[in-house]
Amino acid sequence: MTSDVRSDQAEGAAIDHLQRVPVVAVICGLVLLAVLVCVVAGGWLAPQDPSAQNPLLSAMAPGHGHLLGTDELGRDVLSRLLSGARSSVVGPLVVAAGCLLIGATLGMAGAYFGGVVDTAVNRLADMVYALPALLIAIVVLGVVGGGYWITVAVLLLLSLPYEIRLCRSAAMVEVRLPYVDAARTIGISAWRIIFRHVLPNILPTVVATFLLDFVGALVGFAALSYLGLGVPPSSPSWGTTLAEGQSLITQNPWLSIAPAVLIIVTASSATLLGDWGHELLAHAGTQR
Amino acid sequence: MNTEEGAARDLATHLHPDDAGDRSGAALLHVERLNVAVGPVRRARPLVRDVSFDVHRGQALGIVGESGSGKSLTARAVVGLLPAGLHASGSVTFDGHQLIDAERRTWRALRGSRVSLLLQDPFTMLNPLQTAGAHLAESLPRGGHHSRSRQRDEIARRLGEVGLAAEVAEQYPFQLSGGMRQRVALAVALARDPELLIADEPTTALDVTTQAEVLELLQSIRRSRGMSLILITHDLRVAFSVCDRVQVMYAGSVLEQSPTAALAADPAHPYSLGLLLADPPVTHYVAELTAIPGSVPQADTVADTCAFAARCSWAQPECAAARPPLAPVGPNRTSACLRLGEIHPELRAALSHLDQPAAPPPALTVGDPIAAITELRKTFHTSRLAGRARRTTALDGVSLQIGEGESVGLVGETGSGKTTIARALLGLITPDAGRIDLAGIDISNYRRLDRRQRRQARRIVQAVFQDPYTSLNPALSIGTTLREVLDLRGDVTDSRHETADLLGLVGLPASYAQRRPVALSGGERQRVAIARAIALRPRLLICDEPVAALDVSAQAQVLELLRDIHRRYNTSMLFITHDLSVVRQMADRIIVLYHGQVVETGDTATVLDSPNHPYTRRLINAIPSAQAPSGHAPDRSEP
Repeated sequence: MTSDVRSDQAEGAAIDHLQRVPVVAVICGLVLLAVLVCVVAGGWLAPQDPSAQNPLLSAMAPGHGHLLGTDELGRDVLSRLLSGARSSVVGPLVVAAGCLLIGATLGMAGAYFGGVVDTAVNRLADMVYALPALLIAIVVLGVVGGGYWITVAVLLLLSLPYEIRLCRSAAMVEVRLPYVDAARTIGISAWRIIFRHVLPNILPTVVATFLLDFVGALVGFAALSYLGLGVPPSSPSWGTTLAEGQSLITQNPWLSIAPAVLIIVTASSATLLGDWGHELLAHAGTQR
Repeated sequence: MNTEEGAARDLATHLHPDDAGDRSGAALLHVERLNVAVGPVRRARPLVRDVSFDVHRGQALGIVGESGSGKSLTARAVVGLLPAGLHASGSVTFDGHQLIDAERRTWRALRGSRVSLLLQDPFTMLNPLQTAGAHLAESLPRGGHHSRSRQRDEIARRLGEVGLAAEVAEQYPFQLSGGMRQRVALAVALARDPELLIADEPTTALDVTTQAEVLELLQSIRRSRGMSLILITHDLRVAFSVCDRVQVMYAGSVLEQSPTAALAADPAHPYSLGLLLADPPVTHYVAELTAIPGSVPQADTVADTCAFAARCSWAQPECAAARPPLAPVGPNRTSACLRLGEIHPELRAALSHLDQPAAPPPALTVGDPIAAITELRKTFHTSRLAGRARRTTALDGVSLQIGEGESVGLVGETGSGKTTIARALLGLITPDAGRIDLAGIDISNYRRLDRRQRRQARRIVQAVFQDPYTSLNPALSIGTTLREVLDLRGDVTDSRHETADLLGLVGLPASYAQRRPVALSGGERQRVAIARAIALRPRLLICDEPVAALDVSAQAQVLELLRDIHRRYNTSMLFITHDLSVVRQMADRIIVLYHGQVVETGDTATVLDSPNHPYTRRLINAIPSAQAPSGHAPDRSEP
């Protein structure tokens, strides 16, 4: 039968897979771990007070005890970036987590119940999809006046449709399989089937989209902070630091380069880790 | 030592090639000590070991085995189409060309034009965007500048050869039935007039009547062209109906090679006998179905013993000591059984039991109806978005009753509405019209039932689904799956103990509770599915093709288990199947469905022995004969 050929093929691929040492995944994991440490203890790790001004050392290149130099007001850049990690990362994390909870639930419910529920969920996703996300965020925040948690809420709403659609399509495959029929036949309730039977089987997709949502929100947050929306300008964050550095690029280029590199490295690590996690989890089902 | 000796004997058998090919000189295909392994060279795990056989011109060889036997891999190694990560060694010679590690150019010259492969699944092997005609045009010989009309005539002729009308050329795969697709695929495989056709389970995905037609077609084309054929199948009856010779494979090794008639009448290996016995007869009821205990091992775990020793009732310590070589045991026959000399009479005696006069089926005491279906109708619509809206009538006024303690067989082909009835009874679909009574509850519209009634209905009826590979949640352990059901029952205090009891009931060790479905064989998974279904102690158990996806040896085990449950708990059963021999063993009464209507109903024996409706007769005639038909005797010679 072809089934043995297929399982042998899967096995061959699995062996292939295990032989490849995921160096990239390890590095990405370490990067994200370091970022998380900064989120938790950034202020404590900072070598100097991030808001201590020193007009004499304004916009200095690295040196004089300032590893990455100083900004316009003479504040230590390294300290500002370390303590700014919290406001730069927590918001995106909340966005991703919220997407996961609401989006995955709605997506799975749409796939499972079908009919009116599915249509409602889909139209909601379509509607939000049709909006030019960042533009809407700018308008809303401009009108409402910004604020950290309002930014989180807006970004959350705008990234929902991706999560809904991906989870819905992954769940659509699962709800047609006989094990879901079997669960219904036994008399298990709909929500229990959704969370206990469907969710574990679409976990690879859920985990991967969580990290992708995080990346999207991280970049979105930085962009809004850069524009002066979202994070209040006085508080340190990667996006605001990047914006401040623009005018001082000749005096201290590190003021712009360092936050940009931080954003890129964090975002790439999360993307690659999500990719690897997806593959790993998807394989887990085929192994004993 | 044993492998060398085996090689010597293999060689000996090759020096005495058999039947038709004898006269036409050397074999067309000569396979010698073919090995297929997976993984890196140093730690390679064998999947196929030391397979040697010949196929002569005009000869048909059947390779028979259960899943994991290596029969498909053998065929794929022969045509050089092994999946990535697998590699073959040994020797495969086709008309003088060495094919193992052959260059691409050699392959291109051979594949399609001289050797052709026909695959199992007619639903995926045709390109959905190409018409049947385009498929054929692509594979017809390229030589010469055919004019359009000449090509069209050629395509029509080719379609005619496989019994299709010329108009089919204009149609896309989705417009064709499974049988028609398989015919198109066959026409494509034959387009360049190959000398050898390798057919890998060509009829497994088809209905019984379609299967009979396709097999008949294969046979007649092979004869008229004098083409050689390798037919790979798990079904001995299919191999017997088409092939001159049969090679039985098990866990990567060949256990027996024999002319068809000789194998059917007098198997020379305990496993061949087991396969013959495990196939339930359609002609009469058997009081106890013979199953081969256990399941097929991985090829690498039995590398140094007789592969079948662990499941063989004749096994002795010497069987496990070394890998027995294939030894000649008669004219053109080899067997890998060490003890054949001693046990051959016993094998013959065991086989003669199969044809013993029928034991009467146990007397039936039918109580009040537990389920009654009246004038049930259901039509499926496809959405207008996908082109033309289409209506399919699945049920066209079906009425039937199932009595308490009765086992009813529901027989019919794909699309006859069998599964729709099951799903309606389970509340998974809502019928358009009609009434379903389940022990006094009207369940025709499940959504209208209140919570208590719904729960009551779920307690009464439970189901075992067809495909054990998808009917268990792959993410949950067996124990979790079963405990979930037991928790619903509400009266279970020690669910761990109860889970162990359930597993014991279906013949599985309690330790399986920790395993995930992927670590279980198909038969074991189906047992778990049965355990899940009977955990709620239902009064009616619906079995929707419960053994169709299982290997022959696991089939008998599962059928016997279901019978046991039926007898022990007096559970009513609705047994849905297309296999009449299964229904003969399982059902007290038969209902024959055809295009959503009941066309015949009556006692199992009455319906199967003297069918009234022409459709029922067609179903019965379509069963491949278990005995080798005299017309295809091995000494038959073809031009």
